[in-house]
Amino acid sequence: MRLPPLIRTKPEAPNVHAAPLWSLRPQSDREAGDAVVSNFMLHWFPAKISKASMAWNYSFWLGTISAALFFLLILSGLPLLFLYVPSVERAYQSVKDIEFVITFGSWIRAVHRISAHLMVIVVALHLMRVFLTGAYKNGVGRGQQREINWVIGVVMFLTTLFLSFTGYLLPWDQLAFWAVTVGTNIASSIPAIGPEVRELLIGGRNIDQPTLIRFYVLHVVFLPGLLGVLFAYHMWRVRKDGGLARADAQTVVESPRTTDVVPTKTYTLLGVARGTSPSVTARTLEAPNTTVNAVPDLTRRALIATLGTIAVVSIMSVFIASPLEEPANALITPNPAKAPWYFLWLQEIVTDTTIRIGSFTLNGAFVGGVILPGVLVGLMTFWPWLDRSSHLTAGVWMPRERRRQNIVFLLLILAVLILTFIGMVLRGPYWNFYWPWEAWPDIPGRI
Amino acid sequence: MEKRTSSPYPRVDRLLLAIVGVVLVIGTGLFMWSDRAHDWRFYQSEFRQLVAEKFGDDKAAELPEGVRQIWAAELSRADRCITCHQAISYKGFEQAEQPYRTHPVEPLKLHAVEDYGCTSCHGGQGWAIDTAAAHGEVAHWEEPLLSRTLGEEYTLAGNKNALMQMNCNTCHRYDRETKGAEAINLAKRLINEKGCRACHVVNGFGGTIGPDLTNVGEKAPEQYDMSRLSGQRTAFAWHMAHFKDPRALTEGTVMPNFNFSTEQAQALSMLMLSWRRQEVPALFVSGTPRTDPRSAEELKVEEAMKTGPGGWFVQTGCFVCHSISALGVRSPAQIGPDLSNAVEDVQSRFGVTIDTFLANPTGTMSVVLSRQIILTPEQKQVAIQKLREAFAEYQRQRGTPGTVISK
Repeated sequence: MRLPPLIRTKPEAPNVHAAPLWSLRPQSDREAGDAVVSNFMLHWFPAKISKASMAWNYSFWLGTISAALFFLLILSGLPLLFLYVPSVERAYQSVKDIEFVITFGSWIRAVHRISAHLMVIVVALHLMRVFLTGAYKNGVGRGQQREINWVIGVVMFLTTLFLSFTGYLLPWDQLAFWAVTVGTNIASSIPAIGPEVRELLIGGRNIDQPTLIRFYVLHVVFLPGLLGVLFAYHMWRVRKDGGLARADAQTVVESPRTTDVVPTKTYTLLGVARGTSPSVTARTLEAPNTTVNAVPDLTRRALIATLGTIAVVSIMSVFIASPLEEPANALITPNPAKAPWYFLWLQEIVTDTTIRIGSFTLNGAFVGGVILPGVLVGLMTFWPWLDRSSHLTAGVWMPRERRRQNIVFLLLILAVLILTFIGMVLRGPYWNFYWPWEAWPDIPGRI
Repeated sequence: MEKRTSSPYPRVDRLLLAIVGVVLVIGTGLFMWSDRAHDWRFYQSEFRQLVAEKFGDDKAAELPEGVRQIWAAELSRADRCITCHQAISYKGFEQAEQPYRTHPVEPLKLHAVEDYGCTSCHGGQGWAIDTAAAHGEVAHWEEPLLSRTLGEEYTLAGNKNALMQMNCNTCHRYDRETKGAEAINLAKRLINEKGCRACHVVNGFGGTIGPDLTNVGEKAPEQYDMSRLSGQRTAFAWHMAHFKDPRALTEGTVMPNFNFSTEQAQALSMLMLSWRRQEVPALFVSGTPRTDPRSAEELKVEEAMKTGPGGWFVQTGCFVCHSISALGVRSPAQIGPDLSNAVEDVQSRFGVTIDTFLANPTGTMSVVLSRQIILTPEQKQVAIQKLREAFAEYQRQRGTPGTVISK
């Protein structure tokens, strides 16, 4: 039997896109449409974007930077996957090898570590920006569900923290071991089920091989996968909700306008969305003087933010060495034993709410480690439904109407920052308080 | 087609993008440079020059390049010291400055460097390839290089190199005397002379008034009370001061002041720090029996056989298969016939005299005498002589009058 020759023939049906690549300089509307359908970036971005949304000083591009950092983490994590051995006998050695003899090893590890720390910071800043601009609020568009995206965002923030926390254990040095000890001990203070929660977290009653492999799998497979999926959904929702909340505000401020009505277009993914897409009055959004083409103006800025992030992290990684302490030792507690820095405000609250009366100790871990963060995360998650301010405040920095909640929010952030600073800088051996100008008692050596 | 809207962005943003691009290139250059900028490259080129000057360019060209390591698999040590210390096994640099000095041969004869690596004796951080990190003079590394410099810092009274002996004692812990480890030997003698076990448990027995010292070297520096210690604040310094005057460091202690000399206190401190819970593969532990243990009875019999009339058969190895009962030699295996009457037995079994048989053995003995017990003609004469003696003894014991068998 003769097989038919493997020749790719042009499809004969009319109107089927035959071109394998999109055109960078479309000569017709048809070619432009093809480009949108077959190009991921154009798929992802709208055809046009309001100039207001493009501004550096509205969003500070924190979401883009977070995504860039996530990308950088995946990129730097891949070589580490080949080099790191998730076993208590060999993890520490393998990190030493990465640090000392792998070509570019210490730089790759520094990129991974610095990106992780920066990602926690930038994601938190992104969340703060969204809160302060009320960007979780629906504006004037139909079918908007920005509160859902806010909740997704909160989950992504928590996932980022957990990703960082699981990565913290992997070098299997004293820093890792005791930070995770402190972190998981806080979880065990939940009444009734605390010890079980801790056991579930660390896969036993001691931090050992089961903990390491558990954290490892969470760190390299489960959590990045989850974050990736959430990220895709997060971005899709941004499109579905009509872009940044500021675009809505812009519409409200500027309409009604006298420009001619331009027929609304619905592209691609938006076609399957409920309702008629983010049609925030076609009148202003598509008016020539308030919008620019996403390509190349938006893509160029996205490129600047992404490459800029990579450049900054790359240079930082040359000069900031990643710490690697002594091998993990369950018998020797470093003094002081500190949680990862983003949990230090909790550790500080735990010590401050621990009350000792004589020999009786009321452990603050439940209040500081469970109740308080639980309430804060709960409030944060449901805030869009608790915030009763007008839709006109969506996408506006510090509007008068939301002044009070913004001030309370900022005060909470300030409190967290102060507590974190105290925990990071001012707490010395035995968790004693030391001013920056006071020297800690020097730690003796062996020989 | 729709007109493209005019955009105010390209002018500034293109410049920004260009700047970001330049910064990226600079960043890439930086990290490539930082990966190359290591001292070992300098030391390797320097050593290459030294070899070229001394032994010519051909020898210099043979020197290996790049990061090198000794992988002591059984001890899980990857020691990269030889990346800079290239002269370690290179004869001719015995008097050179470090890192270009040849290692003394003597200690390496018993401690092959492929088995032990460098750091198991010298200390330091074998993984590292930069001087400070490799010599352990960095934070978070508690095994510094046990060098002469460190010994001088502690103003050791005796041999300034003695600190290294602490690591000898990791494997030689159960030796009474270890050749070359004088300080440790001195300390071990003191432990017995001063009766430390009256109050302290060491290796499983002793009194319980003081703390168990079996693994005292394992105690973390943070766990010492250094509040009354002046000068260097290390576990080693603490032990030295404590041996000199226990009450000055620990209030209310009942440990007496033994008036140790500085050298004694230092030796004892080294011994203390060397007593650690370190896993050493059994093959590395000094004094571990390499044969199956034998009872006193068995040893006595063996000794008697060796020194008795049949001693020659034991030393030559015949007794592995053959007993020579007439001479009191009893083979543990008894695979072959008793050699007491070999003189007549060979004749009846093979139809040749013992002389002919030994000169031209057949069967199993041809294999044994050609591969395992290889005898010179002179030794064969001795064997025949000994076999005759055994036969004479055999006949004497049997009480048969001498029927001399002719040759």
